[in-house]
Amino acid sequence: MRPVTLAELRDAVRDTDGPLLARGAGTAAGWAGTPLPGATEIETTGLDRLLTYNPDDMTVAVEAGMPLARLQAELASRGQRIALDAARVPAGATVGGLVATADSGPLRHSHGGPRDLVIGVTVVLADGTVARSGGHVIKNVAGYDLGKLFCGSFGTLGVITEVVLRVHPLPPATRTVALPRDAAEALDAVGRLLAARLEPAALEWCDGTLLARYEGGPSSVERRAAATLIRPGDKVLDPPAEATAWRRVREVSDEETVVRCGSRPDQFPYVAKHAARIASSVAVGVHTVAVDDAAAVERLRAEFEHVTLCRRPAGSGLPAWGRPHAAVPLMRAVKQRFDPAGRLGAGRFSPWF
Amino acid sequence: MALTDLRDKLVADLGRDGVIDDPAHLRTYECDALTGYRVVPALVVLPRDAGEVATTVRACAEHGVPFVARGAGTGLSGGALPTADGVVISLQRLRRIVEVDPVNRRAVVQPGVTNLDISKAAAAYGLYYSPDPSSQQVCTIGGNVAENSGGAHCLKYGFTANHVLAVDVVLPDGTSARLGGDAPHQAGFDLLGAFVGSEGTLGVVTAVVVRLLHTPATVRTLVADFESTETAGAAVTAVIAAGIVPAAIEMMDNLAIEAVNEAVDAGFDPNTAAVLIIELDGPADEVEERFAEVTAVCTAATRVTIAQDAQQRARFWRGRKAAFAAVGRLSPNYFVQDGVVPRTRLSEALARIAAMAGEAGLRVANVFHAGDGNLHPLVLYSEAAGEHERAEALSSAIAELCVELGGSLSGEHGIGTDKACSMPRMFSADDLETMQRLRAAFDPAGLCNPGKIFPTPRLCGERPGPYRPHPLEATGVIERL
Amino acid sequence: MKRELLDVCVHCGFCLPTCPTYVLTGDEAESPRGRIYLMSLAERGEASIGGAFTEHIDSCLGCLACVPACPSGVQYNLLIEAARPRIEEEAPRDTLFRRLVFALFPYPRRLRAAAVFGVLYQRIGIRPTRLLARLPARARALESLLPPVRVRDLFARTPRATLPAGSARRRVALLTGCAQRVFFAKVNAATVRVLAAEGCEVVAPRGQGCCGALSLHSGRDEEARRFARRTIDAFGDGYDAIVVNVAGCGSTMKEYGELLSADPEYRERAAAFAAKVRDVTELLAELPPVAPRHPVEARVAYHDACHLANAQRITAEPRQVLAAIPGVVLVDVPEAQICCGSAGVYNLLQPEAAEELGKRKAANLASVAADVIATANAGCLLQIGRFTSDGTPIVHPVELVDASIRGTGSK
Repeated sequence: MRPVTLAELRDAVRDTDGPLLARGAGTAAGWAGTPLPGATEIETTGLDRLLTYNPDDMTVAVEAGMPLARLQAELASRGQRIALDAARVPAGATVGGLVATADSGPLRHSHGGPRDLVIGVTVVLADGTVARSGGHVIKNVAGYDLGKLFCGSFGTLGVITEVVLRVHPLPPATRTVALPRDAAEALDAVGRLLAARLEPAALEWCDGTLLARYEGGPSSVERRAAATLIRPGDKVLDPPAEATAWRRVREVSDEETVVRCGSRPDQFPYVAKHAARIASSVAVGVHTVAVDDAAAVERLRAEFEHVTLCRRPAGSGLPAWGRPHAAVPLMRAVKQRFDPAGRLGAGRFSPWF
Repeated sequence: MALTDLRDKLVADLGRDGVIDDPAHLRTYECDALTGYRVVPALVVLPRDAGEVATTVRACAEHGVPFVARGAGTGLSGGALPTADGVVISLQRLRRIVEVDPVNRRAVVQPGVTNLDISKAAAAYGLYYSPDPSSQQVCTIGGNVAENSGGAHCLKYGFTANHVLAVDVVLPDGTSARLGGDAPHQAGFDLLGAFVGSEGTLGVVTAVVVRLLHTPATVRTLVADFESTETAGAAVTAVIAAGIVPAAIEMMDNLAIEAVNEAVDAGFDPNTAAVLIIELDGPADEVEERFAEVTAVCTAATRVTIAQDAQQRARFWRGRKAAFAAVGRLSPNYFVQDGVVPRTRLSEALARIAAMAGEAGLRVANVFHAGDGNLHPLVLYSEAAGEHERAEALSSAIAELCVELGGSLSGEHGIGTDKACSMPRMFSADDLETMQRLRAAFDPAGLCNPGKIFPTPRLCGERPGPYRPHPLEATGVIERL
Repeated sequence: MKRELLDVCVHCGFCLPTCPTYVLTGDEAESPRGRIYLMSLAERGEASIGGAFTEHIDSCLGCLACVPACPSGVQYNLLIEAARPRIEEEAPRDTLFRRLVFALFPYPRRLRAAAVFGVLYQRIGIRPTRLLARLPARARALESLLPPVRVRDLFARTPRATLPAGSARRRVALLTGCAQRVFFAKVNAATVRVLAAEGCEVVAPRGQGCCGALSLHSGRDEEARRFARRTIDAFGDGYDAIVVNVAGCGSTMKEYGELLSADPEYRERAAAFAAKVRDVTELLAELPPVAPRHPVEARVAYHDACHLANAQRITAEPRQVLAAIPGVVLVDVPEAQICCGSAGVYNLLQPEAAEELGKRKAANLASVAADVIATANAGCLLQIGRFTSDGTPIVHPVELVDASIRGTGSK
């Protein structure tokens, strides 16, 4: 089913029986657990309108099926953006899908992820209830923040239908510096760069190189980039080289077996040692890790509690989730209240529930 | 009977020193900083560690007795208002900074540690904890987590929710869990994000892992005087529209300035109608470039004073942060509101508030976080003169005006007891029912800080206020099915 | 406990972190906000004097750290001074030990006699009476407060008049104090030498006794007024300033005007007297130094006495006076605003809390590894001395100035 209005979507949920599977553009269809077969698919790509955009308020409301790339183009015409650069955005990932997967990219270093950018959501629950939380202002503590709750829910709590986002100004200029470093050296360099208070917008380690991106006024980014050069071999990238470097970061997500993993920043070298390739936001401790085989995933799970499976080869027997962390019983309780019949996204959190 | 049993059990487990049941003593806990609501609890418990918190909560759960956690009692929405026949769990004995980790730029603290003490402990490493509520020298991190507290500098840096990596909580049945993790990536639902700002209704925090930031390389602060709050509001809109993200933009009107000048020597011009405090921070070049743009945008200002040194800057902020309490010098009683409006509607909101105040015959002082549209109108009144009800009505009307303008009832103080009855103005019955599902998942027995956030017949009269179409709905921006 | 004064409190809680008893207990009723709440309840007749009210008013140190912290301008000093007599009148308690304290400390001669026993006790280890054993915690407090006294000090007297080094810049009268005179004769001696070196003619009027501070801070108002009148009489007129080197005494003497405002005979004299009272550091900061200073190479931790910093709002002057000594480096102490637990006779009446605060203060002072601790109040000197175990000398700031002027270089 591909409803094109909120009412149609609500009706589709309410008037059908049996399991449902929410789907956006399908760019993360392989993330988390494999959906049980037989579910009716509800595709959100028909809900792709821009609802409200007042540039001076720095907020925008969209339907969940809007591809983020398209929204970014719209905002760019007014000198603004959503500060979210997940790898799958160019492939057409929808705003709702990015929220449901809590996906993010190197800008997480300065702007966090969807949880930090979503200021309001509308969701349709499994029983057809339409509920909103948050609002259209960036500062708002009225009621529970369901927008955050739905981050990382993989469509199992309800179908996200509308999202209100915080907007940021597009930086006038950017500059990226490449510092060739091994993992341990990169960790050290990150500490120094932060202590120097140069405020990079992104600090990402990928393929043996630490990338520091500065955003801001033209002269300011120039000087900050120059101040980042520590030793021979460090260099400020020209625009084509810069584009290539960041593309390589995105490409880690396209490898055959990929997980997203969180660690304390200083444990980054221990994460890296399991990786075939890695794109790591070193300072925040969030890593996109491509591994050679399922065993490496199990080794990561043995060491780190928060590991999300993003890609695996077709037919792989690798379970989507490792040992349950401390909050999994609460996740089950929440699921029970939001979707007692277990209609939505069955299999996504297997074997946890 | 349940209460007597509970008291005996708690005295046995926590010691006589950890349980308060003297009637006069209990009354000192009957309200937080919102004194208009008062309920005397049956018991106050002062646990010393997470284990005693769990013991207390478990005992409450077993006896079916409601409980509310309390930090420094600085909340302005009645979020820590006790329940009659209920227990107050004060976390003021859990005040240890467990660890400051400069390598990973984080600190582990107990919930009773004050917001400012975290920054003080981190200062040795050039780090600080960013959210800075005006009461930061008093308010505790546990309370900040409950309310998702903001502060002047959250315009650039975000709120408590953006700076907490993990919390250890005692759940309402007395079991414990950790929400969040070592990094801002959680496998599964963002329960941490849902917990922060849940106003103490989902559990009791016993430890918080916070992110620390490096103190910015440069800070520039200016104070601009304006002839009216409207022109000041327009300047705020202009700064934001210019694509500048200042660390803070604060506004005070003349009445607020009068109060502040009496309380502290902050150096604001007593004759100006409104002042903006605008602060930029970050790398030196970036700040200088942007600071020039800000001063250029403030053309309507009658005077611009740029802080010459850290001392002068601190003076401005001391004045701003003392503003709420300083209003106590102008009026024996006041209500603080906390509504938010879209930034482009600031001037309109201020004009309407002034008109409403005029109609009610009450004075309203405005001191607020202009950069994110978070208003703090202070409705001044005298309880002795019988103005309480009129002031309460005006205060609620202002909060609801904010919703009407497309904003929110609360930007940082929380809904608590104060605004629970206004929630139906902002959310439909289905919205509220859905939120209640989250609550029921954490607290099926409904013992954890009951009566807050959600309207109840007991608090709001027989029927909660009727749902009126949200203005965005009326204009077709959102759809209500 | 006037309603207008109580209503100024808006319950914001900004006072909480400054309150020593709140820092120790985390209990709302042990905070200024909670105490004001109790006073307010009592004023409305909703709580009785006695019980919780008395317990929590009694536990207040009266350090007044909450006063500068209050954005609303609550005059807690007036509130607590009004609350204490209510207890004395309506719910008197605890008579034996309190009487002993109030019969001893304000009277130098009695105290000196007691101190002689103290010396014997310290030297020979005789436990003087069984009475003390019957009041363990409090007795321990009393006996361990006794500093190492030399018998000579006990009978030292400040000269009646000391002429300045050169021509007189000021003619000042010195309060020699009660406990001060007995236990800290050397501070008085240093004060006289420094003031004389700085061009002051120093007179120590005879016949002066207790200024009334201990009584006033414990709700014994009538007794305090009696001491105040006697002090005013003993000093007489003809001085540019009344110099005090004990913060608690100075703050009380600066309040004589209000204390005796209902006394037609003394009202005006009291106000005029109060206007001339100066802490010794205040006077020294006001007089440009004339006596050459010799270096004193020392890291100095200056501890703000509550009755100087909070009651008299004097924080810059003692630091300025100390910083003017060549070689002195002033170091910041953590939790500087928290009281050391001395607070007049508090350490005698509430020994457990006082002991905890004393230990906390000593630990904070020890954390900065200073060579010398300086504080301008006799009570603080005794209290900090009791809990400082690392041998760091504790002096009055004026003693450091004296050392610098005399070139003794001692620490």
